[in-house]
Amino acid sequence: MTTELANNSGTVKLGRSTRFRRRTATDFAAEGEPFVWALGGALALGILMIVGFLALVIWNGIVTFIPKPIVVVTATNGDVFAGEPVRSEQFRPGPEVLAPLAPDARAAIAANGGLASRTLYRVGNYDLYGEDFRWIAAHDVKSIEAPTGLVLVERLEWGPFIGTIKSVELGDSAKEVAASTVGEIAAAHDRARERWQRLHRIERNDIGAVNYDLNQDRLRLRKIEIESGPASQAYTQAKQRFAEREANLKRDYERLSAMVAALRADDDKEVITFADVRGREKTISLSAVVRMYKANDLGLVGKIGVYLSRWWEFLSDEPREANTEGGVFPAIFGTFVMTLLLVVAVTPFGVITALYLREYAKQGRLVAVARISVNNLAGVPSIVYGVFGLGFFAYILGGTIDHLFYAERLPSPTFGSGGLLWSSLTLALLTVPVVIVATEEAVAAVPRSMREGSLACGASKWQTIRYVVLPRAMPGIMTGIILAMARGAGEVAPLMLVGVVKLAPELPLDGFFPYIHLERSFMHLGFHIYDVGFQSRNSEAGKPMVFVATLLLIVLIALMNASAIVVRNRLKRKFVGSQF
Amino acid sequence: MRMKTALGATFGVIAMTAAAGAQQIDPSLKPYNAVSGVSGNLKSIGSDTLNNLMTLWAEGFKAKYPSVKIEIEGKGSSTAPPALINGTAQFGPMSRPMKSAEIDEFEKKFGYKPSAIRGAVDALAIFVHKDNPIKCLSLQQVDAVFSKTRKGGGDKDIATWGQVGATGDWADKPISLYGRNSASGTYGYFKEVALFNGDYKDSVKEQPGSSAVVQGVASDKFAIGYSGVGYKTADVRSVPLSATVGAECFNATSENAYSGDYPISRFLYVYVNVNPNQRLDPIRAEFIEYVYSRQGQEAVVKDGYFPITAKIAETDLKVNKLRN
Repeated sequence: MTTELANNSGTVKLGRSTRFRRRTATDFAAEGEPFVWALGGALALGILMIVGFLALVIWNGIVTFIPKPIVVVTATNGDVFAGEPVRSEQFRPGPEVLAPLAPDARAAIAANGGLASRTLYRVGNYDLYGEDFRWIAAHDVKSIEAPTGLVLVERLEWGPFIGTIKSVELGDSAKEVAASTVGEIAAAHDRARERWQRLHRIERNDIGAVNYDLNQDRLRLRKIEIESGPASQAYTQAKQRFAEREANLKRDYERLSAMVAALRADDDKEVITFADVRGREKTISLSAVVRMYKANDLGLVGKIGVYLSRWWEFLSDEPREANTEGGVFPAIFGTFVMTLLLVVAVTPFGVITALYLREYAKQGRLVAVARISVNNLAGVPSIVYGVFGLGFFAYILGGTIDHLFYAERLPSPTFGSGGLLWSSLTLALLTVPVVIVATEEAVAAVPRSMREGSLACGASKWQTIRYVVLPRAMPGIMTGIILAMARGAGEVAPLMLVGVVKLAPELPLDGFFPYIHLERSFMHLGFHIYDVGFQSRNSEAGKPMVFVATLLLIVLIALMNASAIVVRNRLKRKFVGSQF
Repeated sequence: MRMKTALGATFGVIAMTAAAGAQQIDPSLKPYNAVSGVSGNLKSIGSDTLNNLMTLWAEGFKAKYPSVKIEIEGKGSSTAPPALINGTAQFGPMSRPMKSAEIDEFEKKFGYKPSAIRGAVDALAIFVHKDNPIKCLSLQQVDAVFSKTRKGGGDKDIATWGQVGATGDWADKPISLYGRNSASGTYGYFKEVALFNGDYKDSVKEQPGSSAVVQGVASDKFAIGYSGVGYKTADVRSVPLSATVGAECFNATSENAYSGDYPISRFLYVYVNVNPNQRLDPIRAEFIEYVYSRQGQEAVVKDGYFPITAKIAETDLKVNKLRN
């Protein structure tokens, strides 16, 4: 083809060598070589960006929980503090910084081109210092040491404490800490934590159940009051019943409270006193210590232990201290359940629509318009769906449901504000075009001969669709669902309007009837990232947590997609096996 | 200044001693004691300045009453009044007092005014990069930096650091502005007090959260921004302020906020729908008690704000008829 073109354009008349040169040039372009390179380059660039992004997130996410050494910094002005070095940077000190410096320090900075270096330390002890990070310039440092014996204490409140263990009080006797008591402290700490967890369980499960029953009874009474009026006999009887039950539940509550009080009294007896590097002391309950380790004495095994236990806490615990510490379990669970519900909602809706559009509807102008609308839906900004979800689902639909079925709870809304159900439906709406388009393509790809064969055997249209078309189109439909899931799980903007909140430790799934609470607000990993990164008090401390949460979100979505792909491949294999 | 007199009068008599760094809590605030029979849902919608504080309060409250269900949502002070009016939330934290229009709307629906609880004190800080040499700014200068209308009386627009007294490298560098979005109470309060109700310049980069303002300033060497003092990090510095040109400059510390010397300090409010003719349900009543307790005010310190005194707590409880 290319030779012909070259010949036709009159190159034959030219000398042999010229012709040769021109022909190679023409060939190069005509063979599409530059385009291949450009396309390949674009692909490489795309992969590079994805790999770079993943590497950044994974690296930062992985190193966050590694225990770092603690150093004691003595400043030239006599100030002493201990902290974990976070990062260093070069800066150009202004004249007002340089003026009070010693001449040799000034000369050193001048020799370095006017640049000095400084390091950020995480000093912790927010309750004592009123700050948790501190910069210090290299020329202000007198000495840096890494003494053994310094502990980093992660606490339930106030963030980390950095210092030494001064004394422990177990039961009645106060003990100065000697080397021999280290194991004893660890054992006592384990016991205290266990007791604290038991306390937590009693409070949450047992007392929670009592309070739940009480609340249910109260609502039932209110319902009778609304239905038959406060003067009716039914209400008077119900009130009597309620009083009896309330008395019973109160007794249960008293009994459990006494148990809790006894555990708490034990808890209060065990305290531990820490001292920071300048000797200021802080006494806290032993059970309020989440984890403590001697940062500079840790061996490899110890480090791995701390690292893994931090990960475990992060994955399995509830958040503490306005989401900056503790774990993200409610957020993981919320993201997971919401995505599942999204799939449950989007699949039938999308598949049925696509089947009708492709198989039943008469292909005319109306269907074309419907198809264009569906495609346009995919281009609507997600926040618009959020506004729609809030206005239509939460306020109109939810408000009506509340008036019809939950009148006894008003004015506090049940379904009338954002919640898990409305979030999933909003996202289902957002992702339904993806499923429709994918299903239509998959259904269209089923050969006509197969349908005709089925019809010729006497199957009805629905039977043909059900037994011939759908199984063959299933892998394509699954691809659409996977795409929808991936899009939905990563979406945050509309969720902020329809049900995701900063703190909702209560899971949408629990032991109380009806077990799954679709009306509850929930936490979401994507929103958690936004919240920790841009809303927390100390953004410096939040930064590493952002990376960890991002890593987790990526892993979660990858896992969900992978399992969907496994299912799809199974289906494909099944189909291949049943082929003629 | 309204706030100055209000804060000054309330705190004037009370001598507060703050140890280096950490805040002290009024010792006459009582520790919180749990009572029985508190359960139910507790939902708060409102200010994002108070978002973390509400969360800390809620966490502390939940530790006392484990079966209480908590939901905290914070997208700006302007979202609090509609949430209270529609009953979607029991608490509406706001970083500014309710406007009269908002109060009217509330009164139209319920027939009584919403109750305000002053939960904490905040000094609104002007943040600059940690290397910034600026020693002091007057409110008029702040106005000329942030506002295009300059109602504070500044005669010239301020666009470079040299115009507020920086020398050397800094003199000709343009000032890059960071601020809050308009749903925020911080935006409204700053506009009212520091801009003298003038308009913001169009070049102010409006951020969705207080922490985002601080991060913007931390990463932009020539930046200036405002947000609650609680969001300060090691990467930014808060600039001392004076109320008038040439007057003494005061740092954003608790003493200066209490005395009213620091010109842009404010109360942080939590609004509640309290029907004066009915007894308040236990969950809300106890939460309010908790906010005013020693533990509640410790949470305030933990979040970087300044605690209120026992006297304010008493006054608020009495005014709102929350305690008999």
